[in-house]
Amino acid sequence: MSKGAKKPGLSVDRRQLLSMGAAVGAAGLAASKGISQSAAQTSGFPTVQVAQLSDLAVGAEIEFDYPDADSPAVLLRLDGPVEGGIGPDQTIVAYSRLCTHKGCPVNYNAAHRMLICPCHWSSFDPAKKGRMIIGQASQGLPQITLRLTNGAVEAVGVEGLIYGRQQNIL
Amino acid sequence: MTKTPIPPKDAERFSTVCQFCIVGCGYRVYKWPEGSDGGHAPGDNALGVDYSEQQPVDGAWIAPLMHRVVSDRDGKRYSVAIVPDDDCNVNSGMASVRGAGLAASLYQADGPTRTRLTTPAIRAGRTQDAAGWDEAVDLGARIIKAVIDRWGPDAVGMKFFDHGGGGGGFENNWAAGRFFFHGIRTRTCSIHNRPAYNSEVHAAADAGLAPLTNAYVDAQLADTILVVGANPYETQTNYFLNHMVKNLSGESLSLKKSAFPDEEVASGKIIIVDPRRTMTVAAAEQAAGVENVLHLQIEPGADLWVMNAIARIILERKWHDVGFIRRYTETQTFDAYQRSTLMRDRSVDELVDEAARRAGIEPELLHKAADWIARPKANRTRRRTLLHYEKGLIWGIKNYENIASIVDLALLTGNLGKPGTGCSRLGGHQEGYVRPAPLGGRPALNVDEAVRRGEAKVFWIAGCNPVLTTLRSGAIGDTLKQRGGLVADALASTRGQPVERRVVAVVEAMKQGGMFVLGQDIYPTASTELAHLVLPAAGWGEMNLTSINGERRLRLYQRFMDPPGDALPDWKIMALFAQRLHALYSAENNPEMARHFLDFDWTDDEAVFIDARYTFKGGPGDPMEGYAGVDYKLLRELGVNGIQTPVQLVDGVPVGSERLFEDKRFGTKSGKARFVPAPPPWPGYAAKVMRQKQQHRFWINNGRSNHIWQTAYHHRYLEFYKERAPIPYLEMHPSDAEELQIKPGDLVEVANDMGKVSAMAYPSDAVKTGHCFLLFGQPKGAAGDLISDHVDPDTTIPWYKGVWADVRLVGPAPEFAERISFKPQNVAE
Repeated sequence: MSKGAKKPGLSVDRRQLLSMGAAVGAAGLAASKGISQSAAQTSGFPTVQVAQLSDLAVGAEIEFDYPDADSPAVLLRLDGPVEGGIGPDQTIVAYSRLCTHKGCPVNYNAAHRMLICPCHWSSFDPAKKGRMIIGQASQGLPQITLRLTNGAVEAVGVEGLIYGRQQNIL
Repeated sequence: MTKTPIPPKDAERFSTVCQFCIVGCGYRVYKWPEGSDGGHAPGDNALGVDYSEQQPVDGAWIAPLMHRVVSDRDGKRYSVAIVPDDDCNVNSGMASVRGAGLAASLYQADGPTRTRLTTPAIRAGRTQDAAGWDEAVDLGARIIKAVIDRWGPDAVGMKFFDHGGGGGGFENNWAAGRFFFHGIRTRTCSIHNRPAYNSEVHAAADAGLAPLTNAYVDAQLADTILVVGANPYETQTNYFLNHMVKNLSGESLSLKKSAFPDEEVASGKIIIVDPRRTMTVAAAEQAAGVENVLHLQIEPGADLWVMNAIARIILERKWHDVGFIRRYTETQTFDAYQRSTLMRDRSVDELVDEAARRAGIEPELLHKAADWIARPKANRTRRRTLLHYEKGLIWGIKNYENIASIVDLALLTGNLGKPGTGCSRLGGHQEGYVRPAPLGGRPALNVDEAVRRGEAKVFWIAGCNPVLTTLRSGAIGDTLKQRGGLVADALASTRGQPVERRVVAVVEAMKQGGMFVLGQDIYPTASTELAHLVLPAAGWGEMNLTSINGERRLRLYQRFMDPPGDALPDWKIMALFAQRLHALYSAENNPEMARHFLDFDWTDDEAVFIDARYTFKGGPGDPMEGYAGVDYKLLRELGVNGIQTPVQLVDGVPVGSERLFEDKRFGTKSGKARFVPAPPPWPGYAAKVMRQKQQHRFWINNGRSNHIWQTAYHHRYLEFYKERAPIPYLEMHPSDAEELQIKPGDLVEVANDMGKVSAMAYPSDAVKTGHCFLLFGQPKGAAGDLISDHVDPDTTIPWYKGVWADVRLVGPAPEFAERISFKPQNVAE
């Protein structure tokens, strides 16, 4: 256990966490250093325009299908920068709506800013790469890779496997 | 591109049950040579599913964690897919977060589980030398023999698994029991999670009940479900989702109507007694409507008051089941119960007010609970109430009286042996207990103390990790280091010398206070790292095993892959030691002792299962685990739904028991149930606990969570699980966190007079102000280190949840705050 007395307010650095064996994965390190991650897969995926940046106020929630009509997704503009977010302030994200437990479409709870499945109540955090908060799925919600092209937000790929598919492009 | 391989049509198929929680969901295993994947067309894969299309809701999806590539001992590589089984009545095709990762937990020499123990090892000084089984067993057996010969059998101490599911089961339990109770004959025994060898529910047995009385379908049939000290959404997931929720949502109404055509039926109500507003409460409210959920958010230690006050109200209203009590209970115990536990000489209002005040809730809520449990339905038919409890009550202020309170409430209201009723543990791990009778008395010997005091010269730890989980765990760790260090030095100084010399050196070290430690497990743990003899065990899927779930459903968990390296099933390890001890005693002409270790020559898993079976008669006297007449062939035929124990032999044919006590014969001499009266002054806080409470600000409730199974022995290596709680999280009320300037993800220190634990702050309104909840058993922070060594003197069961400590901010941990979600874990809408 960490027994060294530390003054409140001093940040616990990675080395200290490593000494506890508690550092999170490599992606976490990269994220904390501001390196953009590219686990996202775009090869073979269609490009689909989802919205105009100018139409996306904070709190915006836009449903769309991606990569095909059988795969509902949701685009959100959150109120602060997040890992994997795009736009001028990295607030725009999109996720598959198919719950990775049993495939019910998740709903957005705007008050808590959580994506929640109405069937068995798995919940996912759109500000944290769609990771599961609590629930019975075994992966987070697949994140739709977004790109900004001339003021248009485009979906161009998927990170993670969409529920009900053995590969994302059928 | 991300994809999961599909099993080909000719994939090998196995039937199994999840290795994790008590619920025991059914799973199908597919195994095929790596690379020979099936196709997307229904005719080209083992599931017969068209994978060229999007699967519907509840479809047959193979999620990424449901597939891994493993190697067998012949070096060949195989794909393994493990998917939830639609045909299983327990889970109806649903996975939990834990079961969905069964494949991910398999041993992979080139994957995250490569840390598995694969070779026996002998510790010398600070190093552990790899050894063959012959060498390891010879050394261990000789040391054990020397200890028995010099100090007697009680100097051999043990703390062993007694569970079903992964690593346990009837086979391994029987072998361990035979070894210690027929072979060594020691009383210095303890069970994996506690300091002694004892039931956690003595009061239930004294009443003539078993720990697991109902069928899961009873949760679909009950008018009211009472859940005390448990959080089934997270820790009995598919019992909650596939059975309780169906009742709460009204989905099981047609089933109720057909089961009870002459009764008023409605969708179910649920009463949850828990100091936390958990996801169970939130989900129940979504399923049933807020008006059908009663959450009693009580102060620590008040459950006993709450249960008995509810019982008193029921008695006062004359809602108790007079017919049941007269016909099926020893009525003098009912008189004593009313006088003593329910304090009939005090006014009901006075008692209810005191209970409510101690619990920190409004008295009306206790009246409402009594209503929901026992107010008769239309036409004066009795309500069917299913009573459930788990660690909140078991590991509560006074184990014996706590369990008595719920058992007595079930007897008072006649809720046993009928559809929609029962009084059962919700359970943690699965069960699979079959052993010869242990030798200790009651209250059981506190083995942790025997280890600390030096009475145990040998301490054999198997399938558990007391350095992490026992009470005052820091002290056990220190003892293993100090007493074990003397033996480690003796082994270091005799490295390479003949075994006889090493044994002499070890015994000399023992005379100076040394202790020889055996660590038998599937992974290295804080306990095996301090062991002198490390014994690698086979895990789930690596041997055939049998277990029962929370409704006593007995099934065969088929072996589908080899154990890693030289690892062996626990039963085989016990057999090797017994055979060696037999040979050693025979060689010195001691036939009496040699005989203790006879008949450990099982040839396979089933031979152990059959050997243990003779303890059951197939009649009414069998314990709830009884499986007379059952063999692997029958279990293979019965598949994923198995047979519910105790199995009765009717004209020689094995017949299962859906629920217990349908014949109203209870497990007492008279066959009638007994109320278990508690002493009149309900117990207060024990002195040690009171001292902590007075010295420290926060109550540190502690327990399991959804994502992490037990000590995270698998999950600490699997990124999806590990990243949720890389160190234990500490829920604290947002106002307390704000006052201490603690933000989500900050590193905090939880400290008291016992020890300290580092944790990750998770501000949450799930807990009241002044309360915290700490994830237990996490390898990076042992909640056990904070728990005093107070136990219930009547049962030697600790009040694990009776912990007070201070919390201070260590500092922000950006790595946690940025990556981990600290959103509420109790929002369901």
